[in-house]
Amino acid sequence: MSTDAIALPGTGLASRPIVVRLHEWVTTVDHKRLGILYIIYALVFLLIAGIEAIVIRIQLIRPHNDFVSPQVFNRMFTMHGTTMIFFVVMPVLFGFANYLLPLMIGARDMAFPRLNAFSFWMTAFGGLLLYFSLVGANGLYGAGNAPDVGWFAYAPLTSQTFSLGHSTDFWILGILVSGFGSIGVAINIVSTVICMRCPGMTLAKMPLFAWLNFVMAGLVILAVSPLTAAQIMLLVDRYLGGHFFDTQAGGSAVMWMHFFWIFGHPEVYVLVLPAFAFVSEIVPVFSRKPIFGYSVMVGATVAIGFISMSVWAHHMFTVGMGANANTFFVLSTMAIAVPTGIKIFNWLATMWGGKIDFKTPMLFCIAFLFQFLVAGLTGVMLGTAPFNWHLGNSYFVVAHFHYVIVGGILFALFGAFYYWFPKMSGKMYNETLGKLHFWLFFIGFHLTFDFMHIPGLLGMPRRIYTYEPGRGWDTWNLIVTIGVFFQAAGILVFLGNFIWSYFRGESVGSDPWDAWTLEWSTNSPPPVYNFATIPEVKSRRPLWDLKHPDDPD
Amino acid sequence: MGSEILRPPGHDRSPSTIELPAPTAWPIVSAFGLTLVFAGLVTSASVSILGAILAIAGCVGWFREVLPHEKHESVQVEERVPVVATSRPEVTQVRWMTEELHRARLPLEIYPISAGIKGGLAGSVAMAVLAVMYGIISGHGVWYPINLLSAGFFPARTTVEQIAAFHWDALIIATIIHLLCSVLVGLLYGVALPMFPRHPVLLGGAIAPVLWSGLLHSILDAINPVLNQRIDWLWFVLSQIGFGVVAGIVVSRQTRVHTWQSLPLGVRAGIEVSGRVHQDNEDGH
Repeated sequence: MSTDAIALPGTGLASRPIVVRLHEWVTTVDHKRLGILYIIYALVFLLIAGIEAIVIRIQLIRPHNDFVSPQVFNRMFTMHGTTMIFFVVMPVLFGFANYLLPLMIGARDMAFPRLNAFSFWMTAFGGLLLYFSLVGANGLYGAGNAPDVGWFAYAPLTSQTFSLGHSTDFWILGILVSGFGSIGVAINIVSTVICMRCPGMTLAKMPLFAWLNFVMAGLVILAVSPLTAAQIMLLVDRYLGGHFFDTQAGGSAVMWMHFFWIFGHPEVYVLVLPAFAFVSEIVPVFSRKPIFGYSVMVGATVAIGFISMSVWAHHMFTVGMGANANTFFVLSTMAIAVPTGIKIFNWLATMWGGKIDFKTPMLFCIAFLFQFLVAGLTGVMLGTAPFNWHLGNSYFVVAHFHYVIVGGILFALFGAFYYWFPKMSGKMYNETLGKLHFWLFFIGFHLTFDFMHIPGLLGMPRRIYTYEPGRGWDTWNLIVTIGVFFQAAGILVFLGNFIWSYFRGESVGSDPWDAWTLEWSTNSPPPVYNFATIPEVKSRRPLWDLKHPDDPD
Repeated sequence: MGSEILRPPGHDRSPSTIELPAPTAWPIVSAFGLTLVFAGLVTSASVSILGAILAIAGCVGWFREVLPHEKHESVQVEERVPVVATSRPEVTQVRWMTEELHRARLPLEIYPISAGIKGGLAGSVAMAVLAVMYGIISGHGVWYPINLLSAGFFPARTTVEQIAAFHWDALIIATIIHLLCSVLVGLLYGVALPMFPRHPVLLGGAIAPVLWSGLLHSILDAINPVLNQRIDWLWFVLSQIGFGVVAGIVVSRQTRVHTWQSLPLGVRAGIEVSGRVHQDNEDGH
């Protein structure tokens, strides 16, 4: 452990008026503050989307339930999916990238600090615009308020004929606005990684965190742009008499699917690559070994980036694309399992023979490894066209992608929260509460999403409002809903732990984990300029070199 | 030496102030304006007009802050900087593996690809002998196991008589399947055996056959239903063990070669990289 004890920078600033401090946050261009803003914003939306998930699950807890109306149910799953993807996971990952990238590569800030602030506020206002639909979209048509077309909003449900009022418009505009923010932050990450690395940090010496976020940002630029184009086309259809997605006027509903999924599947990798980044930093430190196969990890990341752009139509096997298209997308989907599998093996190899410290961040990462493996295996199953024809649009699919996003991404994200919380706050979290959070969430996750596969296999379609008793789905749905409450309890423990620790937690030094990347060489929390002098590195583990001058990498 | 590797913050003479981009409200003004422009599409044109005004004002204010020179503010540098230290200063060297390398990149040696191919081919002979023995002992004849292996290609041949008879096309298909699978599994042994250096024959002769048989047991109905209906699992496992023992022995007796992991990618790829090898040799790498 580090032997130093650093006073919190800015001590005494808390006595300033709240308006002054708010003004500082609103006008900030500091990457760390913007990172924290992203994270807090995402956590607020996590609570909202979590409540929506609870409503969905209570509705499905038993047959013939009428906890909410069918209309509200449709809004709940639409808002839950949209919020979780666009306003929880993406922003929180952008937040971590913002906070950590310059620190890890020895820079003072992102390449474009003002664009960084603009990007955050566009993302934030996009989310607010979406939720403004609750009060703003209840138009003259009695068509309801929040969007209800599902998170991928297939045509023709989004046409004026089937979607009266403005709810769908708010869905389009909210995502459109946040999309500008996503592209802005992606440009910033790419530029920062290319241009802002400290002396000595060649691409081959860059932390894997930076590599993975670099590829993720490239994917954002490639993937979000078609979605933005499609949203504009949909607006044209709805208000300017366009027929892009109107099959009766020569348009194509399938074209929307292609536009959406050429965003949607790379989006999965946009979300999971930063999760890989967290695991690639946490697992070596808590195994006391360098990452196994750095070069191969980088190669696998770049390979995932390329292949992920060619798998989108495996979401569309049930559309009837023809044998050639199906074959291509089956094969490309199988192919992407290879670099992903390489990563799993390399993380295991990093742990193999290591001196593993089962602290909370490591627990979440270990759970991530096995859960993401299962998610990948069900992904390969669904990537096989004949299997997909049977289970497409069933709860098996819902279970699969929640295994990816919750079992994979969210678990890695929790690990990241615990790992970097001491750096961001200067305080140590409560380890007991951290482990309580882990076990509650772990049990809840498996109760919910393991058992969710079964009603899917038994034919339960996704988005169904309620169901007849006696189909063999009842008990499974009851168990699934019980698991949600375990997860909710875990989330509350997590939030309580961090709030309590922030105000009452034990102060920590700059390097509580005895880690090796540059962010641990500066104060906790870091000063606004990050480093008094820009560091110069000669290996992938610069702090190892400093701590072991007789045995540098 | 440490300071040569990474110059820690504050160890050099650091400046007393640092120039950083100045805080500004124009990004949030621009973002809010642009959002209102879009929000006006579903509320009122006046909202869009207000948004456009704000967006333009935000852009103008923003540009004036960065053109012709970016606006900065000076930040006072704190005097206290952390000392990079560890509670685990001791490092144990893995000298038992090598005296040469500064860092051991395991495995240091691997079997060449030819070892896997030889092992696979040798194993294929052993397996074929055991399979033919099964055919003779079971009373169906030597062609029975061969036809069973290729049965997935000939769904019309379902009776025992048909499967026990000689078919040249089945012989060709079965030979291809057998050799291809044997060589591939042999290559896998070549890769895996260095990871289990102490018990190569145990891996090849017991663990791998059992795992392979278990895997096939679960999927055989899908890939070869006729074979699945008629297979004698005891003999199948025995023939797998025969393959594994022979392949394991053959592979483990081949001469290992050094891996090139310590060499840069350019050298491994056979590309001329000036200075790199020379420098590494000087460093003792």
